[in-house]
Amino acid sequence: MTKPTDVAVEKHDAATEPPESYFVPATDVYETTDGLTLVAEMPGVTPDGLRVTVDENVLVLRADPAPADEAGDVLLKEFEVGPFYRAFRLPADYDAQKIDATLKQGLLSLRLPKSDRLKPRRIEVTVE
Amino acid sequence: MAFRAWIPSPGPYAQLQREMNRLFDTVFGRNLGPGRVRAACVYPGTNVRETQDAYVVACEVPGLEMDDLEVTVTAGQLTLSGVRRSSIPDEGATLHRRERDTGQFSRAVTLPGPVQSDAAEATLSNGVLTVRIPKTEESKPKRVHVQVDS
Repeated sequence: MTKPTDVAVEKHDAATEPPESYFVPATDVYETTDGLTLVAEMPGVTPDGLRVTVDENVLVLRADPAPADEAGDVLLKEFEVGPFYRAFRLPADYDAQKIDATLKQGLLSLRLPKSDRLKPRRIEVTVE
Repeated sequence: MAFRAWIPSPGPYAQLQREMNRLFDTVFGRNLGPGRVRAACVYPGTNVRETQDAYVVACEVPGLEMDDLEVTVTAGQLTLSGVRRSSIPDEGATLHRRERDTGQFSRAVTLPGPVQSDAAEATLSNGVLTVRIPKTEESKPKRVHVQVDS
């Protein structure tokens, strides 16, 4: 079974260019009979700041979170707000054209259905 | 030969382990680039700011809803607890990658000055919880009018 793997994108354009520095979102990837699901943590990201692209089976996630309110003196700083970026090479078994993306409370869920040619189909037999 | 990252259980060594995984990935060809993995040793990652009239606590809790969270403010402390649920179905799923931690958590943040705990307000927006806790009137900075004798 082919698995989605992390890749460095070699052929860049404006949409797949990684930011100068970025966070790699923690991502769950699993497969069911319906297809492939990726769930990526991107706290602070709104749909406006999110860009998901697929080119030649390379899925690129790029997100710019909304700027955080920084008024006042810092007493504790455990996280920084910055762009998220990650690229996956998808197995060819999935139909990237039918990708379904939802963003809820900083959690991006991507669902890719299995491509039709892999679904079991019944062959009609004609009797002469 | 393919190197598959071992996803560590939550704990103080998780960040180190992840950094090691990333180093191995870089050396053995699965380069993640210059990106950093967001792995707080203590969950959730928390920022605290102090403004003139309040303390503002921000926590990264992606995927959690208000129902999953409990926020308590006492005189000198904010306590945040809750549960991180897995998005992976219990059955019928082939797992390729599990990087999101799950389970119960609880952490406390000490507030450096007196606050009006009953006036605290919590909002959850895009996976970031923000709790604003007003200071008591006595602890707010006062402007002293200086009279100049001419």
